[in-house]
Amino acid sequence: MIGTVRKLTWRRSLMALAAGLLALSTLSVGSAQQGEIPLNPEVSGDVEFWHFWGSPVRRNAIRRVVAQCQAELPNITVTETFKPWGDIWTANIAAVAARSGMPDVIVADRLQLPRDAADGIYQSLGDMVEADNIQSSAFWDFTWQQTLYEGESYGLPFETDVRVLFYNKNVLEEAGLDPENPPATWEELWAAADALDVKNEDGTFERIAFFPLYGNVGVDLWAMANGHEFVVDGQPVVDDPAVAETLEWMKRWIDRYGGWSEVQRFLAQYGAAPNDAFMAGGVVMKVDTAGYNSILNFYRPKANLADGSTPNMDWGVSLPPYEVEPATWSGGFTLSIPSGAENPEAAWEFIKCAASRPGQVSWARDTYSIPSDIAAARDPVLMADPAWGFFIDAMEVGKLVPFVPAYSNWIEQLNSRLESVWTDATTIEEALSEAQQEIDRTIEQNR
Amino acid sequence: MATRVTESQPVLTVAPKARRKFSRRRFNQGLTGYLFALPWLIGFAVFTLWPMLYSLYTSFTRYNIIGEPRWLGLRNYENIIFNDSMFLKALENTFWMVIVKTPIVIVAALTIAILLNLNLPGERGFRTIVYLPNVLSGVAAIFLWQWILAPNGLFNAGLELIGVRGPAWFTDPAWTKPGLVVMSSWWIGAQVLIYLASLKGIPKSLYEAAEIDGATGWAKTRYITLPMLSPTTFFLVVTSIIGTFQIFETAFIIAGAAGRDIALGGPGQSLLFYVFYLYNRAFGKVGAGGLQMGYASALAWILFLIIMAVTLVQLLLAKRWVYYETDGR
Repeated sequence: MIGTVRKLTWRRSLMALAAGLLALSTLSVGSAQQGEIPLNPEVSGDVEFWHFWGSPVRRNAIRRVVAQCQAELPNITVTETFKPWGDIWTANIAAVAARSGMPDVIVADRLQLPRDAADGIYQSLGDMVEADNIQSSAFWDFTWQQTLYEGESYGLPFETDVRVLFYNKNVLEEAGLDPENPPATWEELWAAADALDVKNEDGTFERIAFFPLYGNVGVDLWAMANGHEFVVDGQPVVDDPAVAETLEWMKRWIDRYGGWSEVQRFLAQYGAAPNDAFMAGGVVMKVDTAGYNSILNFYRPKANLADGSTPNMDWGVSLPPYEVEPATWSGGFTLSIPSGAENPEAAWEFIKCAASRPGQVSWARDTYSIPSDIAAARDPVLMADPAWGFFIDAMEVGKLVPFVPAYSNWIEQLNSRLESVWTDATTIEEALSEAQQEIDRTIEQNR
Repeated sequence: MATRVTESQPVLTVAPKARRKFSRRRFNQGLTGYLFALPWLIGFAVFTLWPMLYSLYTSFTRYNIIGEPRWLGLRNYENIIFNDSMFLKALENTFWMVIVKTPIVIVAALTIAILLNLNLPGERGFRTIVYLPNVLSGVAAIFLWQWILAPNGLFNAGLELIGVRGPAWFTDPAWTKPGLVVMSSWWIGAQVLIYLASLKGIPKSLYEAAEIDGATGWAKTRYITLPMLSPTTFFLVVTSIIGTFQIFETAFIIAGAAGRDIALGGPGQSLLFYVFYLYNRAFGKVGAGGLQMGYASALAWILFLIIMAVTLVQLLLAKRWVYYETDGR
């Protein structure tokens, strides 16, 4: 009797152990590890992939991602097609409306994705996400949240970005400032500008220290650095003292450099990289996305110093100067499948591959844009560059501006009035209250 | 003083039977004509007429081009006329362009054509050079002109030589449209050629007769050249106005489509032209509704009515100043 019980117990525990091991093994095969998404190499088909990355840096970078995915998905043929930035989404809309000619995969603007999904431009990836058990926790939370429309994802987050301050260390040193400690607050920035501005005899400027509207930056970032929260309970708020103070601060910079038209004239002397104002020495500090780092690496600009020497420019990165708290924000893009695409299964395999860790690390390495996949963002290869660690830390102070379904373009009401503020055609109070009224009215109409 | 032939034409009297045969032949001839025209008629119906009528329908709906149109009645038109400040700004900018650019283009084209008609040596070469810009790609040329009209660009450098400080062409709201006019005056080659052809068609006998009577150069231009050219001028004025109302390419390249940090329409919304605004509405870059094809269709039909009205006014006025040789006036 005792012997039988012992045997039974032993067998039962053996079975339990086997079951446990089996369960564990299916877990590691079926679900995605942090940053690794399962691919199905059996799927075949042609995938037409539209993107707008035509610059020397990014064209080759996306080709590398495509090549990597081709290696892992031998039965799929991916054709990457460059479409100009001003044309790619309108061409896609026309193709979707005509129900033919749309790509299988397209790079979509993550910030507009819920609006575009509501219009029916992209198809829901909800079923495929569930079937492949994609873990949303693999991505930065805000990047995943912004892909959702009615609870389903309409694109896998691909790249995101973060806005930081690029500054010219050579010039800072020459002016007697500490190149390792750039201005961190608005006051320090204003004081530093006294040392960095170079004025001509006729009153125009040869070089300006900083301009809040130069670079990949707008009122929204500065208002957030002044502690303002733009969307409260789904309602955009622009008529607020924090925003008014921000506009006043920006106006001080405009007046410092001779007024709006004078500043425009100054900036119009410069063009695209490598002749942009920062690389050509016209502006000492510039807020731009981390990706600007890759462009600086590509062009290796020179710094023009007062003594006539032109050493290689040594640039530094830091957080955008703040008044209340450091802030930055992140845009980004997803890989989405337009409605009616011919090969959605093959498209999905390619999207998974490109959005997974190897694809995102390859992309980030070339372009310095931030992977939406957190594990990819902290990949040791990327972290080997000390600047990269700073970019990832900067993501931590990133502020999310929630999507407003009733009026996704609401910021246009503020942007369209700014110029009359800069030229003193309207006061800040008028502009903000008008903008707020228009936003509220439009949202009311669209409820 | 031409005498009119007033006797009536002789009328062919035929027996009824013969008349029926006559009309069948006429009918067959007519039918053949229509059959030959059928390919064009089908193309017109399918690619021009049908989309126009469909857009008239969608202008009364909310339509995002991917889903089905939803009937709204006159709401789009109401919103455009009473609630849309950008519509008014777009009209203002477009009318400015039409009123300023048309006379400049006509006068410049006429002057150059008259110069080319003087039969000086090298006329053929200059004719080619004047027409050359029309052959170039529009977009590339616009980029080129952005650089030429930059505040420190070639054009301002040239102005500095004569002691004038050039304005900030594409960054100063007051000077963006004049900058566009300067740029478009580069493209008058087609108008010059049309004028040149008409000039060569003016009978020399008129000039000789005038010279015998002692007419000066200016009198010859004013009383012979300009009236004889008036049909061409009329044609060019009408087509230039219609074309300028539809200005898009230059605005799109210079001002760009609206974005997150970019307000629509360039400095001071000075480059917000009608069709450019229509495009941004259609593709949801402006306003709250995402893709607003219905609204854009309404905008398009309003523009159609405006251009139609302007053209009708010109046609009515034409009777006063356009002289057609065959009229016998």
